[in-house]
Amino acid sequence: MSSEERDVGEPESCPDCVRVGLDSLALNGREGEKEGDDLGNGSVEDGVGGTVEGLGVNGVVAGVGGGEIEEVWDRNLVDGRREREENRGGEIEEVGDGRLGDWYKARAGGWGEIEEVGDEKLGDEHRANSEGDVEGDSSASSSGYAAEREKGSSHSGRSSASEEIDDGEAAMAAWVPGKRHLDEDEASISWRKRKKHFFILSNSGKPIYSRYGDEHKLAGFSATLQAIISFVENGGDRVKSVRAGKHQVVFLVKGPIYLVCISCTEEPYESLRVQLELIYSQMILILTKSVNRCFEKNPKFDMTPLLGGTDVVFSSLIHSFSWNPATFLHAYTCLPLAYATRQAAGAVLQDIADSGVLFAILMCKHKVVSLVGAQKASLHPDDMLLLSNFVMSSESFRTSESFSPICLPRYNPMAFLYAYVHYLDVETYLMLLTTSSDAFYHLKDCRLRVEMVLLRSNVLSEIQRSLLDGGMHVEDLPIDPVPRSMSLLSQLSYQRIATPTESQESLREAFTGTGGPAGLWHFIYRSIYLDQYVASEFSPPINTPRQQKRLYRAYQKIYASMHDKGVGPHKTQFRRDENYVLLCWVTQDFELYAAFDPLADKALAIKTCNRICQWVKDVENEIFLLGASPFSW
Amino acid sequence: MGLTSAANGGGDDGFRLCIFDLRRGLSEGQELDKILFFYPADLPFSTQLSVIGLSEGLITFTRIFSPDAACEEIEAECHSHVFYEAEPDIWMVMVVEKSKEKEAIWRLDALRKVLKEVHSLFVMFHGSLRSLLMKDPSGGSLRSQLFLFITDYLSAFQKRSPLDYCCWDFLVSKKLHLPSFRDSLKERGTIQMLTIGREAALEVQSLVRLVESCTGSTSCHSLLMFQDLLVSTTFSPDDTVGLFVYAVQRLIPRVLSTGLSSWSYLRKGSASSASFLGSAAGGGGPLTEQFYGSYDSFPEESRTSQIRPLQHEKWSKGKDGFLVNDSWRPENDNSVPSSPTIFLQKSDERMYFSIYQYKNLTLIFTVPISSIPNGEQGLSNVKQLILENASLKFSKVEEKLTKGWGGENAYHVSGYRYLLVDGDRNNSRASPPTKVATLSKESLLALNKLRKEVDLEKSRVRWEAARYDKDLEISIRAKNNAWVIARTTRGKELYMVLENANETVLYASDAVEKFSNRYCNGVFSLD
Repeated sequence: MSSEERDVGEPESCPDCVRVGLDSLALNGREGEKEGDDLGNGSVEDGVGGTVEGLGVNGVVAGVGGGEIEEVWDRNLVDGRREREENRGGEIEEVGDGRLGDWYKARAGGWGEIEEVGDEKLGDEHRANSEGDVEGDSSASSSGYAAEREKGSSHSGRSSASEEIDDGEAAMAAWVPGKRHLDEDEASISWRKRKKHFFILSNSGKPIYSRYGDEHKLAGFSATLQAIISFVENGGDRVKSVRAGKHQVVFLVKGPIYLVCISCTEEPYESLRVQLELIYSQMILILTKSVNRCFEKNPKFDMTPLLGGTDVVFSSLIHSFSWNPATFLHAYTCLPLAYATRQAAGAVLQDIADSGVLFAILMCKHKVVSLVGAQKASLHPDDMLLLSNFVMSSESFRTSESFSPICLPRYNPMAFLYAYVHYLDVETYLMLLTTSSDAFYHLKDCRLRVEMVLLRSNVLSEIQRSLLDGGMHVEDLPIDPVPRSMSLLSQLSYQRIATPTESQESLREAFTGTGGPAGLWHFIYRSIYLDQYVASEFSPPINTPRQQKRLYRAYQKIYASMHDKGVGPHKTQFRRDENYVLLCWVTQDFELYAAFDPLADKALAIKTCNRICQWVKDVENEIFLLGASPFSW
Repeated sequence: MGLTSAANGGGDDGFRLCIFDLRRGLSEGQELDKILFFYPADLPFSTQLSVIGLSEGLITFTRIFSPDAACEEIEAECHSHVFYEAEPDIWMVMVVEKSKEKEAIWRLDALRKVLKEVHSLFVMFHGSLRSLLMKDPSGGSLRSQLFLFITDYLSAFQKRSPLDYCCWDFLVSKKLHLPSFRDSLKERGTIQMLTIGREAALEVQSLVRLVESCTGSTSCHSLLMFQDLLVSTTFSPDDTVGLFVYAVQRLIPRVLSTGLSSWSYLRKGSASSASFLGSAAGGGGPLTEQFYGSYDSFPEESRTSQIRPLQHEKWSKGKDGFLVNDSWRPENDNSVPSSPTIFLQKSDERMYFSIYQYKNLTLIFTVPISSIPNGEQGLSNVKQLILENASLKFSKVEEKLTKGWGGENAYHVSGYRYLLVDGDRNNSRASPPTKVATLSKESLLALNKLRKEVDLEKSRVRWEAARYDKDLEISIRAKNNAWVIARTTRGKELYMVLENANETVLYASDAVEKFSNRYCNGVFSLD
């Protein structure tokens, strides 16, 4: 069965969106395996079980599994969703709308001019809830909040990040993809205490996505958010943010889609707004902007089925907001590789790009090994971030080759491209993007060619080695000017040879708490021309996930401060607080962010920054993708 | 008249200021009862209610997540809304428009301080809003008091004094001028002290003791100012700030003699004030009457019976050197004294509020009404006693302070534009306005932005469970090559702009270090 046949077979009125909906549902089949209960459909699990091997992913891979089975699978999933929809949909609509009116009314008193319905139900509810909150503080053992509180109180206010461990956010290693805390809703104290909420809703107040809690239970809350946005809009204005104590609510309106973040993470408004933009773009990547048409046709259009099962994609993106500098730097990073190795990878990608592939991207985790674009086509770093997040977060891509429609929001938000994705090993994957929906076989051939060349030229094993070695370590920052020929990788191998593993480790341990020279702990260097950044590996004392996240947030803050829309960009910034000395230096060519021990000597720190820049220049062949960049056009 | 157009919407600058009580107007149809004050008063009630509705909605909404600290500000594309919970459930909200006019760039914490200031001044003269609502549950008398008081207060923002910004703004504008980025090197709600030598300090001390002993009351408090600088105070810190702010606005010689005050209004004659009030009150026509119907006698009765301490040109210097104000003129009702009175914080008792002025010296002292036998007559006796015993001392102190005073630019440090705030003592010192005015707009905007960042850090510290003092050092080299610097440590803050400075961070920190060692006892120095 070819993909066209499937297209024809689709019943809904919005073919673009629905197709993706189905595809992403198929993706979720894998989720279904894990969370069969959630889907409430045992047969789905069976169906999936029977088709895993044959179908590959998304049922688009023809010829291997039977079309029949595939259809059963899809239908089951869709039915499952529909059922769920029917069960709850009507109710939601009523609740949502009813409350919306109530909210207006309850809040406005005299807003009657605008909306003259309802009573004070929701207002009262809110009021009661906030009182309940206070009471809850003393008797919250059942909500799980008591445990949080205990944790919180055992630390000083400063380490309040500890509360977040509950979210799994702080512990990167322990981070579990997908949605958790489904049982929560706006009435749960634990839900209210979450440090960072994200919501997507439609302009009629229908919930589309919530980071925590079941969207359907949050219909009333969604309606409240919608009421706030539209109330301000009715006054001829547009609400951007609300601040209350440590909390900040940030709003983003994208046509019929509203996005809201509620956070007490101390991240600046600008950062949170960028995060909302990325979430929106992630949604566009899955659906394209043509989803707007569905809202034009039917303002009460329910989008949740279209995004069904993509929770993992969003939760993994949100998780990356607390560890991946690409999310605020708008740049990508490369896996460190010998120049020749990267050249070899680039050459084979260039070969296939010449045969009608729009973009060929070889990545290892979130790092680029090489990428090539067809002439004149340029790939925005944000698109790369979202694409790799989409691929990495969806378990199904890992198990077999896939061909999936995706949209690159910065490239063309209205149209689908087709992504052929194949994992070459556990961490390394090849993505081939094309405009043609029937290029699967061609791309498969391309992949085979690429894979063969990469294996033969040992690129894949080099990638593995680089993964193990890591990139730049602050401890290795040359203290005296090194001979320019010394490369990062030869430095690494030199160390490996010169010091047996044991003694190297003991050496590293001796460094514990000191980092690099002059109290240097970490740095990020961003090349403006290349749209790329390089971050040093985390070394002690920045070795726990919590410390890493705190540093990440500090970078985020100084980035926002340097790049203020009104008065920025500034040229230099020195910032010292109880945690760090941060130095930031922005020039036309690069940006450097460096973190030091808070007691670091200023003069030495400045010298060290100069040395970092020199070091980066010395090894730029290995840490950046040079020459092949399609961005400089 | 220009002022009229400002209030009437012809020149509507989008400015709104409202006070509402969440405990009132709870039932349907009674929503108007929430409103205690709204500026401009001539806006249709539907508009007023929509401002308050949004505010109330967001207060309720934010409490879901942040029960201890409800909504503080809303940033929208075209407006900023600043919230201040003045008293439990009594909220003040200011809405400012981000107009295309480029001067309209605010720091919301500075605007919030305006709200705090107007509230604390009101309480000083009238008592708390809640207590007035308890006395008159209809809210009528509170509304009329707030209306007069805040209208008088706001009229001060209608024009800027050329003395303040002589280098950039001689323009007389019809709009309200609120503290903007141009005021980044000022801190509202703090006092400015005069630095005096040991000898002068002893003289001042003995003068203060002498005056307080003349009152014969143990609960007499006094505050002495030289021009617009504080010399000494025996009031609590909060009361000191309130009285200082009021004195600078309405009492010091410069304000009295020329009709100018240091931060406002060139106003000659009371006509403009009356018209401002008139426009604010009358513009709304029937609507306003309907709303203020609960105290329909408002325009006439209130103008005679209400105290209007912020009304311009009301204070004048009597022959004996004591300032007089007929706002507190006797009424038929004998229960209210005709001499000016105020409330001090943490005390419900009314205090006689007396001001004596000798050349550049202004002395404020308060005595509990109860401690003066024979009321007004007793107070006159006290004043007489002070004149007899302390006149000589006043002239001596005045002479000494005048001699020691460095003039307008006494606190200028060349090469620096700075603001030094001591949060614990509520005082600040800054480069003179004329010097600050030489800074480029870019530098001031960058500083304003930096101050916003520091404000956020400070407010976070405030909400942290464990209190600790934020030790922060930020030096930014801005696009225009100026250094903008913020330092906070142990409750003290230092803000600085260095233009035409060397590019290295070391230069900037050396400059701070030098300044700190020389002028701040090394508080901001490292090690």
